[in-house]
Amino acid sequence: MASRARMKPIRRPAAKNRETSDFEPCWHLLRSAMIDIHTKNAGGLSFEALYRASYKIVLRKKGELLYTEVKSFEEAWFRDHVMPPIAELITNNLINISLIQAPGTSLHERRQMGEKFLRGVRDAWVEHNLNMNMIADVMMYLDRAYTAETKQPSIFAATIGLFRDHILRNTLSASSQEQLTHEFIVFDILNAVVLDLINMERDGDIIDRNLLKKITSMLEDLYETDEEIDDQKLYLRVFEPRYLQASKAFYRRECERLVRDSDAGTWLRHCRRRLIEESDRCGTTISLLTSEKISKVIETELVMAKLGEFLAMEGSGLKGMIDNDRIEDLSILYELIARVDPSMAPLKATLQSRIMELGLEIEKNLKNTDFSVPANGGGADGDDGADAVDKAKAQPLTVAAQQTAAAIKWVDDVLTLKDKFDNLWSNCFQEDLVLQSSITKSFSDFINVFNRSSEYVSLFIDDNLKRGTKSKTEAEVDAVLDKAIILLRYLTDRDMFERYYQKHLARRLLHNKSDIDTEKDMVSRMRSEMGNAFTSKFEGMFKDMELSKDLSENYRDHIRQLGDVDTKKVDLGIHVLTTNNWPPEVMGRSANQEEGSKVQCTYPPAVKRLQDSFYKFYLKDRSGRVLTWVGSAGTADIKCVFPKVPGKETGPLSKERRYELNVSTYGMIILLLFNDLAEGESLSFEEIQATTNIPPQDLQRNLASLSIAPKARVLLKEPFSKSVKPTDKFSFNTQFASKSMKIKAPTITAISKVEGDDERRETERKNDQTRSHVIDAAIVRIMKARKQLGHTALTTEVITQLANRFKPEISLIKKRIEDLLNREYLERVEGETAVYRYLA
Amino acid sequence: MATNTDAGNSKYVTLVSSDNYEFVVLREATLISPAIKSMLLSPMREGQTGRCVFPEIHGLVMEKIVEYFHYWYKNRDKTVVPDMEIPVDLCLELLVAADFLGLDSKLLS
Repeated sequence: MASRARMKPIRRPAAKNRETSDFEPCWHLLRSAMIDIHTKNAGGLSFEALYRASYKIVLRKKGELLYTEVKSFEEAWFRDHVMPPIAELITNNLINISLIQAPGTSLHERRQMGEKFLRGVRDAWVEHNLNMNMIADVMMYLDRAYTAETKQPSIFAATIGLFRDHILRNTLSASSQEQLTHEFIVFDILNAVVLDLINMERDGDIIDRNLLKKITSMLEDLYETDEEIDDQKLYLRVFEPRYLQASKAFYRRECERLVRDSDAGTWLRHCRRRLIEESDRCGTTISLLTSEKISKVIETELVMAKLGEFLAMEGSGLKGMIDNDRIEDLSILYELIARVDPSMAPLKATLQSRIMELGLEIEKNLKNTDFSVPANGGGADGDDGADAVDKAKAQPLTVAAQQTAAAIKWVDDVLTLKDKFDNLWSNCFQEDLVLQSSITKSFSDFINVFNRSSEYVSLFIDDNLKRGTKSKTEAEVDAVLDKAIILLRYLTDRDMFERYYQKHLARRLLHNKSDIDTEKDMVSRMRSEMGNAFTSKFEGMFKDMELSKDLSENYRDHIRQLGDVDTKKVDLGIHVLTTNNWPPEVMGRSANQEEGSKVQCTYPPAVKRLQDSFYKFYLKDRSGRVLTWVGSAGTADIKCVFPKVPGKETGPLSKERRYELNVSTYGMIILLLFNDLAEGESLSFEEIQATTNIPPQDLQRNLASLSIAPKARVLLKEPFSKSVKPTDKFSFNTQFASKSMKIKAPTITAISKVEGDDERRETERKNDQTRSHVIDAAIVRIMKARKQLGHTALTTEVITQLANRFKPEISLIKKRIEDLLNREYLERVEGETAVYRYLA
Repeated sequence: MATNTDAGNSKYVTLVSSDNYEFVVLREATLISPAIKSMLLSPMREGQTGRCVFPEIHGLVMEKIVEYFHYWYKNRDKTVVPDMEIPVDLCLELLVAADFLGLDSKLLS
């Protein structure tokens, strides 16, 4: 200090030194200023002078004295000026209403009294807070140099805390004029009043939100102690727990009332409204700190507590929402459940079982329809609405066609259901991934429970492709194909589907029923969905078709170059089909399945010549190939001449008629027989069969198409009946007449229809056979790589490898393993149970 | 503070030294001193007029303080700043004044 005095070049005014040298005058200045502050007369004071006064005191090491003086001054002031007006507000009435909840007071009265009390508290607080801030500002140097160093609460904390200690934690009964019957600390009353007001607002009353906000922010500014530890705010420690507890009780009651009196839709909207309200309330009325906690309360008490009961409600519950597409209800429900349970368990379970139910319903409906169709009269007009629509215009529905229609209806229904749930998923469930996978799973489940799904999906595609070019625009067909692919994804037995699709595709291709570009498009979609292996056969079929087209043309050129050798010009269009790519049925192996005893029918000489000529041509480039002629799969256009019928002078029969008949290859062979026949002669069924060697079933069918359907009845059958029997006799129908030049004999094979039960069992048996081979191959592949493997491990691996194609049965795998053991591809490892070794 | 006049809200404030020199300073620049900040925000005379009288700070010292306010204000967002020129003979006086105005705490933190 001495050295400072020496170095100091500037002298302080002497008068100031004298004035501020002691504690008393400084304190006196401050004290009167504090009174001015409390009485709102601070405008004339000089902050600098006051600040300098406290600074001086602290510099003179009198900080402690100042600190205690300020505190005791404030305590005295508080006792004399702040507490009395508050105490006056605490009346028996208030206590009775807020804490004991005495009956007999109206809502309005309660609110008035509560708000009056809160306003008093608020005003006192605002005043106190403002003054304490100002005083603390003036005492800034005290805080900085004294309280901070001695680790005491700041002057502000020490004085603001008076409000807590002397009002909130006080009963204030002593200063009240009337004797209180019950004694409660003010804090309890305050809490009760606030909660009561909030409950009033929840019930629809208007309350003074700003007032409550002020009160709660006061509680946020006050701490349990003067140390002002962050998590010890009175708001968090005292008010909030009570608030949450009261809210819990409120919402529990509300939920019980709702479950008793309302429906699920009301409940959902109510939940949503309450959530919004409460989060708003945290912004406007109480503290944002509570926001999350109060949401939790609503979630547990209002949303989850009776969730099961609401979802199960008849009509308005989840089932009703799904069935009636209540988009809004479901959206809210999703949002609510998403808040509580990200796994969506409650929603998921109901959703899945509902899809299952609806899926099985489709199947049931279908069965009912199926039964009713034959009752409607097989072949008669099917006026059975849905079924008839599709096919009605073409021809009277046969049983088979109706079944086909049923298949299409099934697919349509499934797709409609799928659309419905897709719609719900994107509109209500915010494209939730968990729900998507459970929806997918349910669809897959019920589709695979239905054992004809593979066939029906293929039939559906078949139908759309056949009619696609006619009645639908490209875009529409596109959409339908997309949907078909979706269904395909659900199928587990893809090998079954492959088999059916192959069959149907073969028919479409050979009979030229569909647009080849669309077909290719479809197959390429399948490829991207299912992989190359799945579509290789289909692509092989396309390739055969293209090669055949070129081949036919080349052959035609070849013939032209040879010159008109053949006088009876027969034009040949040929399909050369690779055996493996085409379904065995088409390849003429269906009649006798065993040991491929391919029945070669006897072709008439003209055709035979043609065949030989083509075979020769074919072998020029490709030696060593064998061609088998499949009579059942081809068609022929025949020009026939019906001579003038003697005795008829008018009408079509009076002239010579020329028609172009389109028949199957077999039909052509049969008709050619009648060329050599004298008029009036007839051939018996057996005779025809003996000459042509056409398999009996095929023969029967072809004869039926030529002798029964009135449109193309070029043969007369004796006796005339609706079906062909081996004893029947046939003769040329000289009386035949038709309005059109080109006549198409109805072909039985061209209609893709649902299989009968026998056929179906057949298909399944064949499929199982194929599966056996596929499983064999898989086992060998795996064992070749692993050399040695346990039974269970092997089984699992086989299932994984084949998952893309079908779901193999465990028993089948086991059987295949045993078979491979017998055939010595594998052996059991000595000493260990159920472990196999690969034998090279 | 309803009593705040235009002066109380002006962009500039006036600091007065013991020898009655007046320094008009950008209000924002002075706010680095917690003492001056409280003064200007209080409903008392300083808050109303925007004029702070310091009877115990000499003009020479005040000049340096004001220079510091501007120096701080100009460089408040920068990381690399030039040193400020402090004459040795003013050092002690400046230290005392800085303590009074609460400038130390800011510098320490």
